[in-house]
Amino acid sequence: MKQLLILSGKGGTGKTTIASAFIRLADAKAFADCDVEAPNLHLLNHDGQKESKPYLGMKKAQIKEDLCIDCGACQRNCRFGAIDFKAKYHIDPYACEGCAVCTLVCPTNAIEMINSIDGETTIFRGNRLFSTAELNMGSGNSGKLVTEVKKNLKDNLTNEELIIIDGSPGIGCPVIASLSGVDMVLIVTEPTLSGISDMERILRTAKIFKVKTAICVNKYDTNIDLTQKIETYALAEKIAFTGVIPYDKKVVELINSRRSVVEEDFSVSRAIKKVFISVTELLSI
Amino acid sequence: MIIAVPTSTSGEKSFISENFGRCNFFYIYDTDTEIGKVYTNIYKDGQHGVGLRAAEFVLNQKADILITPRVGEKSLEMFKLSQIKIYECQNETVKDNITKFLNNELKELH
Amino acid sequence: MQIAVLSGKGGTGKTLVSVNLARLAKDSIYVDCDVEEPNGLLYFKIPNIEEEIVYTKYPVIDHDKCIGCRKCTNFCQFNAMAFILGKVRVFKELCHSCGGCKIVCPAKAIEEKEKEIGKIKHGYHDSTEVFSGEMVLGEESGVPIIKALLNKVENSNKTIFIDSPPGNGCSVMESIRDADYCILAAEPSIFGLYNLNMVYQLTKNFQKKVGLVINKSTDDNLIREFAAENEVKILGEIPMDLELAKINSEGNFVSQISRLGTIFEDILAQALSEVSL
Repeated sequence: MKQLLILSGKGGTGKTTIASAFIRLADAKAFADCDVEAPNLHLLNHDGQKESKPYLGMKKAQIKEDLCIDCGACQRNCRFGAIDFKAKYHIDPYACEGCAVCTLVCPTNAIEMINSIDGETTIFRGNRLFSTAELNMGSGNSGKLVTEVKKNLKDNLTNEELIIIDGSPGIGCPVIASLSGVDMVLIVTEPTLSGISDMERILRTAKIFKVKTAICVNKYDTNIDLTQKIETYALAEKIAFTGVIPYDKKVVELINSRRSVVEEDFSVSRAIKKVFISVTELLSI
Repeated sequence: MIIAVPTSTSGEKSFISENFGRCNFFYIYDTDTEIGKVYTNIYKDGQHGVGLRAAEFVLNQKADILITPRVGEKSLEMFKLSQIKIYECQNETVKDNITKFLNNELKELH
Repeated sequence: MQIAVLSGKGGTGKTLVSVNLARLAKDSIYVDCDVEEPNGLLYFKIPNIEEEIVYTKYPVIDHDKCIGCRKCTNFCQFNAMAFILGKVRVFKELCHSCGGCKIVCPAKAIEEKEKEIGKIKHGYHDSTEVFSGEMVLGEESGVPIIKALLNKVENSNKTIFIDSPPGNGCSVMESIRDADYCILAAEPSIFGLYNLNMVYQLTKNFQKKVGLVINKSTDDNLIREFAAENEVKILGEIPMDLELAKINSEGNFVSQISRLGTIFEDILAQALSEVSL
């Protein structure tokens, strides 16, 4: 069983479109969407029975009104401006960081830390296994949630050959959590200054985790010079450069009709197939 | 010597956890007494920074050896402060990994 | 007056819209609140930019006074402190600067020092005043930097354009704190629609006036239908255009090209008139 993770750093590079295409090409029977702040993979793949569970994220402070004596010590000590007073003291759940300092300073023990429901995790079980999650507004992605999405997938696996994970954008803890247990990372980048700068940041993290890494450039023909810069960089850093994919508005048309981009034969699907073959060779499957 | 292993289920028949920081249990094995103890990882539900708590636990057990699939940057920094050696696990049970380690069949991770 | 530009999804055109509107508006300020990946300065190239460091606090342990009781490491909700090899170790990047450890310490062994969590760059590009926030790699939250950015412009009379972070998390919420109007950038794909709805719910929750810009616009009516159903005004549509994409990818202002400039001028005019309603 091999695990392939697809990351991008910057949003909008086409990570989910490509992940979806790979799922189709590999006929993958198990995949996960770890991009939990803006999950999109389910829009293209959601056959099967759905089972959702609430996700308990961080703890947040709550004031027990009957014990509160209105002394205001909590508000004075809160460094996040999360406590206000309107007839009584009240904690703003969006601003509360969960530090629990208010529980320390409250003279009557009127404040408790409660696990808040930050979102929900979902698993689709049918011919294929698909694990995903969605966060409520104001909640952040975290290593904890990504780990849970991956765990939900693993707990339901039988004998799948290849697992594909659509990773989170960015470079922080959620990305690190998505890297555990992974055999290879494919970084989807685009030929823009911002895309390159984000790609470099992810590569640093992948290096520390000693994960096999590959790059592909999406929408490459929007800037050939920058595409070449990326290829040169990959060569110098000894990172596998698995190919380039052109830009074509047909991609959006196909996605909007909920079809995979590899269902039709055109420049983009041919290019994606080439990248897919390189990636599977690197994965030795 | 003391060997620490992050595990997914408890006991020596367990497989090694894919995650170091978010493992469900730690299996701590004393080669002198030949006794292994299981500890629940109480920090695994933290949002961030769980790897550090795991490193804290392992070092406070005075482990000489850690057998794990991988270790993050921050945890590694902590381990480097000590004499602990870290070995890369193989995809087998705890018992088999410990046996392999004692037969010098495991590779050092860092 | 503050206008925030948001999108649920990354890569939808927040920066494209906010930098071009800021450039066209007279006497404006552009504030880049996407502190994890700020891109505004790739467009507003400013030679003598000023930098100001943003600090928060982190605990420093006096090991002579420390009695090893571990009240601090046990209290810390963020795993930013651990007791390893006989000493309390602090992991600055995980620290949320709440001050709790200092409060619980019975031996007065904890003092707070300042750590750099990011910086604010400031300068002028023609008639646009530019602020750009940047977070140090590895830090957990950009919210303190966004707060500092907004404090810099809160008493200004100029028209302020906020380039918000992507998503709908706490950084986004912070960035629209003082916004009088929110422009939602959306792309006509099912991904774009889904994420637009997420960020639209956020603006509704905070009772913000809202308008839409459709980027990479096509014949597809996904976003237009959303706008009609929710009675949200469409301020303008930016077409799918290869020349635009190339100019933008190199960090240049697409509004400099006259056929594209008029689109942004219209969006700006519409937005300004909506705010004053």
